[in-house]
Amino acid sequence: MSTRRRTLLKVIVLGDSGVGKTSLMNQYVHKKFSQQYKATIGADFVTKELQIDDKLVTLQIWDTAGQERFQSLGVAFYRGADCCVLVYDVNVMKSFDSLDNWHDEFLKQANPPDPKAFPFILLGNKIDIDGGNSRVVSEKKARDWCASRGNIPYFETSAKENIRVDDAFLCIAKAALANEREQDM
Amino acid sequence: MIEIESYDFADDVDYAASQQQGSQSIMRSNSGKMKDPEGGEVVYVKDNVSIHPTQYMSERISGRLKLVKQDDSLFMMWIPYKGQNTNTRLSERDRNLYTIRPLPITDVRSIRRHTPPLGWQYLIVVLSSGLAFPPLYFYNGGVKEFLATIKQHVLLVRSADDANVFIVNDFQDPLQKTLSSLELLGVVPVVAPSSAAIAVSPTSESQEKMAECACDTNCGSEFIERPKYKVNDPARDFSIQLLEKFSLVTKFARETTSQLFRENSGENLFLSDGRKPNHIPALPAAPPKLPPNDVQKVSDEVHVPEDPLEFYKLALIWGNPRQPPLSQEEWGDFLDSEGRVVDSEALKKRVFYGGIAHELRKEVWPFLLGHYDFNSTYAEREYLRSARKEDYEIIKLQWQSISPQQAKRFTKFRERKGLIDKDVVRTDRSFSYYNGDDNPNINLLYDILLTYSFYNFDLGYCQGMNDYLSPLLFVMEDESEAFWCFAALMERVGPNFNRDQSGMQAQLFALSKYCLVHWQLVELSDSPLHDYFKQNDCLNYFFCFRWILMQFKRQCADIYFSSFAHHRELRYEETLLLWEVLWTHHLTEHLHLYVCVAILKKYRNKIMGDRMDFDTLLKFINELTGHIDIEPTLRDAEALCLCLGETGAACIPPGTPPSLPLKNALVSSQLEDEILGYTILRKVIADQIASAKEDDLVAFELVFRWEW
Ligand SMILES: Nc1nc2c(ncn2[C@@H]2O[C@H](COP(=O)(O)OP(=O)(O)OP(=O)(O)O)[C@@H](O)[C@H]2O)c(=O)[nH]1
Ligand SMILES: [Mg+2]
Repeated sequence: MSTRRRTLLKVIVLGDSGVGKTSLMNQYVHKKFSQQYKATIGADFVTKELQIDDKLVTLQIWDTAGQERFQSLGVAFYRGADCCVLVYDVNVMKSFDSLDNWHDEFLKQANPPDPKAFPFILLGNKIDIDGGNSRVVSEKKARDWCASRGNIPYFETSAKENIRVDDAFLCIAKAALANEREQDM
Repeated sequence: MIEIESYDFADDVDYAASQQQGSQSIMRSNSGKMKDPEGGEVVYVKDNVSIHPTQYMSERISGRLKLVKQDDSLFMMWIPYKGQNTNTRLSERDRNLYTIRPLPITDVRSIRRHTPPLGWQYLIVVLSSGLAFPPLYFYNGGVKEFLATIKQHVLLVRSADDANVFIVNDFQDPLQKTLSSLELLGVVPVVAPSSAAIAVSPTSESQEKMAECACDTNCGSEFIERPKYKVNDPARDFSIQLLEKFSLVTKFARETTSQLFRENSGENLFLSDGRKPNHIPALPAAPPKLPPNDVQKVSDEVHVPEDPLEFYKLALIWGNPRQPPLSQEEWGDFLDSEGRVVDSEALKKRVFYGGIAHELRKEVWPFLLGHYDFNSTYAEREYLRSARKEDYEIIKLQWQSISPQQAKRFTKFRERKGLIDKDVVRTDRSFSYYNGDDNPNINLLYDILLTYSFYNFDLGYCQGMNDYLSPLLFVMEDESEAFWCFAALMERVGPNFNRDQSGMQAQLFALSKYCLVHWQLVELSDSPLHDYFKQNDCLNYFFCFRWILMQFKRQCADIYFSSFAHHRELRYEETLLLWEVLWTHHLTEHLHLYVCVAILKKYRNKIMGDRMDFDTLLKFINELTGHIDIEPTLRDAEALCLCLGETGAACIPPGTPPSLPLKNALVSSQLEDEILGYTILRKVIADQIASAKEDDLVAFELVFRWEW
């Protein structure tokens, strides 16, 4: 494969409604946080160009609706994904409990060639709220979950305060690129 | 502008002669055998076939077109309806003048079909003598059936040079003789017999390609031999030359058509090959047609099949001109002394064409939504308002009285509350009515949505409902009234939020079905967009999901990315206008689907030219911000709706939201079967059509034999 050609990496962001998927993506791509984003309906994506080592890649980040009723539509967009980003809200237990479901459902629908090796990343969002006093999911609990799922990389983020958003997405891009390379071989 | 509405047709030699021709021929072929062709077997009948005696589209004479079979002869007749008093300027005498008395089809020389991209197809029937009847506009469709029926009875072949010209009984090609006897240069024979002498000269590559493509796409199988040479002038429009040079069409028809043409294309008139014409052709030329496969074949230079729309925007293809919004005064006139809406259909029609002045919306919306009965009096509505207010408070109390302890054991309630909580703060916050911290209107949204989720516990709350409620609360400015209007609206659009997404599926299905039929029938063999979607896995029309789910609300008022805020598609106010127009259900309950098609058609060249794949198309549509102009889009949608008439409406199965759900459960399971069956059929048919392309009559028969 020619190194000059730009690589398109498809990333799917999943998680319960309101955990901050849209906000994280917009913070990463547009460097903005707005109270005025709307609940995501249907699906949409944003793209961002970035350089990893000496390679120019285009990250295509798919934002889907968190509400379960729209799931049947979302699955149409899972196909061909290179990486899946799971997001939960550290202040909402339910959003953490749903992770298993999101994880398994994604693998089932996207049906990647090697499900065990498929790259996931977990983001625990909204750590800014109440200075962390209202959190109900501890970092340890989240890391344990990641370990049990084949050492999924984990980041604690705030879309609002722009905490570790860039780091998280760089890691995502790298994981996606590695996955893409693997498939080329 | 030339005033021709007072034109005296009796002085028109061409027309008079054509009248005579008609009656003469009937006498000739009667030969005592048949006195009244109407006594024969009616093999084709179509209502609302109209002529336009003036350049004003509003002035039309509608009538019934029939094909009658008597013994072995086929007769065509067109009788205007009696007592149409819509066009006062047109006299009964005019009506008689235009009547086509039973005319043996064998006296017809050729039939030319015109297919404007938006609007009604029309035919020009040219007689053996070279005279022609005024264009017949098929307001309810039926052109293909008409041609197909004729084809069953007489030999009907298609001109080699113009796929839209059908020659009747052409054994000897007498027309060609006529032409050559007149020694005209640059005119090509209507049918190219193998031995025909054709003026040959080197042609430019593009012309060659064009001619080839036109042939491949359109030539009927009747042509055993195709001309091997490229003609000097591709003579795309043989008829234009005929019409212009020989005045073969009645003077009035020529003037009418060129008036329409001139009026609407202004200075930007180009023929489809890019030439600026040095004269106004009497009739628009047919655009070159490329077989859809060429989109793939020509890999480097992307050739987008032309949308005829780009070239001439005839008045007849537009919907009616939009009007100013319904005013307070007019509204008063719609009410009787006790406050009843006297003529609800007239009111709906008025709103359909102009919307409602903002300060009146509060009064009129509850009628449109079905919250108020059109027949109710002021007093009855006053009573209803207070009774409904009590009802509302009672339902609201149901969730308000849930204690924290009870809530702890009520997961569904907590989840709903949580969802609504998150969504109300994400509802139209950029709009002044809802912006700012601690905005009380946000709390009202919350209360109403939670109350609704108790009122309709089965449906519950779903994202997007907040988007429907927001304009209602803004307009009604009253919690209980907004709630009941919302509840009435949900009766129609609630199925959009069904857990199994069946409501959305039904609409996407109807959309794709309509589009297929539309591309096939209106654009005829030219259905490149359909083929394009097919090639790119876009036939599920998923990219229209958001449009349909929220009836364009998000496209109207969304500021998804604040950096794009400056080109929001339609402003909040425009959503209000669009919605009230949709809610009138004037013409159709599914205008929003026609709006989808209108927008897709508008951008078809861009979609295909940029070779958008599914992802790109979705993005493009999500970001169609600032490019949707509501008024012209509504006009296009209206025209689309009229253009295929019942045939188009039949694509939308009964019970498709926002139609009220069918009472009969059996019927809805039928609908499901149909959806399932359709998916399979669609593939079969699409394949068949693809291979049967060269003869769209065949394709047509196919489409209609399946009778979805
Ligand atoms: N304090 C704080 N609030 C946040 C953060 N991220 C998002 N929010 C808020 O949480 C709410 C939901 O954010 P979205 O980004 O719209 O959530 P989403 O996951 O895209 O939700 P859906 O589109 O419904 O699936 C919004 O009101 C945001 O302002 C964060 O890091 N900190
Ligand atoms: Mg979102």
